[in-house]
Amino acid sequence: MGRFILKRTLLAVPLLIIISFLTFGLNHLSPMDPAEVVLRAQGVPQVTEALLAETKAALGMDRPFLIRYFTWLASCFRLDFGESYITGTPVWALLGPAFMNTLKLTMVSVIAILAFSVGLGILCALREGRLLDRSIRGVSFFLTSMPSAWLAALMIWFFSVKLDLLPTSGLDSYASYILPVIVLTVSYAGIYFRLVRSAMLSQLHEDYTLYARACGLQERKITLRMLKNSMQVATSVFCMAVPIILGSTVVVESIFAWPGLGSLTVNSILGRDFPVIQAYVLVLAVSFVLFNTLSDLINAALDPKLRKEF
Amino acid sequence: MKRKLITLLAAVTALALLAGCGKTENAQTNASSPKQELVYATVKDINDMNPHLYPGSMPAQGMVYESLVENTPEGIKPLLAESWDISADGTVYTFHLRQGVTFHDGEPFNAEAVKQNIDAVQHNAVKHSWIKLSAKITDTKVLDEYTFELKLSEPYYPAMLELSMTRPYVFLSPKDFVNGETKDGVQGYNGTGPYRLTEHQTDQYAVFEANNEYWNGAPELKKITAKVLPTGETTFLALQKGEVNFVFTDDRGTDSIDTEAMDRLIESGDYQVVRSEAMNTKMIVANSSKTDSPAHDRAVREAVWHAIDRESIASQIFNGKETPAETLFSANVNYADIGLKARAYDLQEAARLLDGAGWAASSGGTRTKDGKALSMELFYDAASLSQKTQAELIQNTVKGIGMELRLIGEDSSSIANRRAAGNYDLLFNQTWGLAYDPQSTVSAFTSESSYYHATSGIAQAEELFGKISSVMVATEEDQRKSLYRDILTIVHDEAIFIPITNGNLTVVAPSGLQGIGFKQTQFELPFEKMRFE
Repeated sequence: MGRFILKRTLLAVPLLIIISFLTFGLNHLSPMDPAEVVLRAQGVPQVTEALLAETKAALGMDRPFLIRYFTWLASCFRLDFGESYITGTPVWALLGPAFMNTLKLTMVSVIAILAFSVGLGILCALREGRLLDRSIRGVSFFLTSMPSAWLAALMIWFFSVKLDLLPTSGLDSYASYILPVIVLTVSYAGIYFRLVRSAMLSQLHEDYTLYARACGLQERKITLRMLKNSMQVATSVFCMAVPIILGSTVVVESIFAWPGLGSLTVNSILGRDFPVIQAYVLVLAVSFVLFNTLSDLINAALDPKLRKEF
Repeated sequence: MKRKLITLLAAVTALALLAGCGKTENAQTNASSPKQELVYATVKDINDMNPHLYPGSMPAQGMVYESLVENTPEGIKPLLAESWDISADGTVYTFHLRQGVTFHDGEPFNAEAVKQNIDAVQHNAVKHSWIKLSAKITDTKVLDEYTFELKLSEPYYPAMLELSMTRPYVFLSPKDFVNGETKDGVQGYNGTGPYRLTEHQTDQYAVFEANNEYWNGAPELKKITAKVLPTGETTFLALQKGEVNFVFTDDRGTDSIDTEAMDRLIESGDYQVVRSEAMNTKMIVANSSKTDSPAHDRAVREAVWHAIDRESIASQIFNGKETPAETLFSANVNYADIGLKARAYDLQEAARLLDGAGWAASSGGTRTKDGKALSMELFYDAASLSQKTQAELIQNTVKGIGMELRLIGEDSSSIANRRAAGNYDLLFNQTWGLAYDPQSTVSAFTSESSYYHATSGIAQAEELFGKISSVMVATEEDQRKSLYRDILTIVHDEAIFIPITNGNLTVVAPSGLQGIGFKQTQFELPFEKMRFE
């Protein structure tokens, strides 16, 4: 297993280097002069040639591309992603709190999504084809097909304005989590619970289940065994759910004015604040690679056959 | 199993209700003491509040910092300077400062502080090249504790106007400077204004509290919070709930909520909508210097002018919030009320002009002249829904007179780039706004990075540029009036700046709020004059 972990982790390194290179190259895909991008991002009313030259020199943009890339990469290892074009503050000072806010929202949502997916998945599998199964699937289909922006607006209107129970937006207290978490849970649990349900169903029809039942084993024990086997299939999907949700909170964060990565990125894209965008893409890409590696490791731990295949 | 499901649902509901109760208390606390407090919605964070740079929010900077003088509809009025003398040759300005004013950190406001601030701005003059005064200041001098002298290289009549602007010639406590400078950042935001910045959570909110030591009397509104909220539905719902109670047009001239939402808020009786007079002109700029483009031909530019149905644009695209504009500047802009002849929406007149200029009509197709088709590219800001809709309407109308317009949406920076490089036929733009007009927009007619390509292709270009340089140094009011009349007449006759509508500033405020007014700029509001009845 130790050898497997080492191999699998080392494989992630070249992938991360390629990602970092592409991320840095983003800045140069823009048809505009990067120095001009900086000045426009800072809201300077009139950009002149003299100002462009001064900005270029100040930001070291007159150095060759590869030298700038390696300098940037080296500083990224120290979590120094440069300074925001707009405010001049270190990117990490902007990204850090936003990342933590999104992470908190993501973690709470992932727990809720897991709880609902597993709970409803088992329930539906055990009641396959009955009214309860069909009703839950019907409702979940209806809810997941609703655009999250619309669902969020509806929730704010009902719970915040009409019932005056929850805040409309922002991150002031624990109550601020409820609506965004519900919207994210509704959007994802509907998809993931089907996965658990079908995995459970396939286990239900396995010979070992039939044999266990024939031997008169307790139903609870059989279900637990089925669940453990189903989880093996679902592990990789659930592991990837974390980075997926981390990267797709943009709509929910925008609507709920959640001060997280989504809102920060939208503002950075609108203001062409490339250092922030680069850092965001890098952080997200790294989290995808990490969670992908993690899911492989968990699966390998659960199934020794996978370790040999590698 | 059924029982377990019910228990689970009940637990979730209870949790939601419990969390909700806590919040309701908060909301009620906010609601019970709002009479001295405003919470306004802003799309962007207040950002770096350094008043000598440009990323900060102007409405926020307007609350915290002050300038020497103030621009009002009646002209320049005293602010931090009580009076001033201008030398006969118009190059030496002596300011007599208000005494007893202190910065928010207790530092005294005096001639030394004025000198340090203006010097700090000048040390970054290349960034302030848009404000022509920055290139003309040659010396700053402290004459005594409350007398300050500013020397210019030549007379420059808009000097006082530019000293009245929200930035950069406003005053920050010298204690906040870093190594005597402000160009690389500051360590605090202490101005002399009616409000102090007391709390800032990036991308969440910023709190401004009344400066009780304010020289002009403590403001009645004791607390103003800028809450970061997206435009549209959430802001509207937050207004309905009372979490925010004030919104106004942003720096791009966009309202945070649409007209229908505003109407619903007014109907509720809790809110009022107040609109300013015309603040700017939205227009299409024609590139007269692009000789291979039909836009080089005055008749074509005039035909486009006649082909725009301004009434429909104002009433339908802008829902009556903007008014049709007939000239580059509205009549309330200084020196602009000179009775220029309006060009009506008249397609027959447009066609007659094109016929007269030799643009031959073909049956149902695009007109041609010397083998060249009457076809142009019109660039619009892809982020602006209203510009796209206007462009489509105009494209459709001019098709009827044999003119083809190809619409290209780009981001605002690319459009600014095209304007600077002269790489366009027609593009959407707007004037700088009331406080900056006409001097800044007119001055931009000669600037390579602004409208030089638009204006330099006309026959009278040299005369126009000569008059613009003369008006900036003219010391006599009559002389300035006459020069502006000539300048505005030339660009009007040449149809370079094709006006569409006049934009204004919109405020949605609680119905009990009194004293809502506007400044001579679309970027700030006089919060210190507002009060609840």
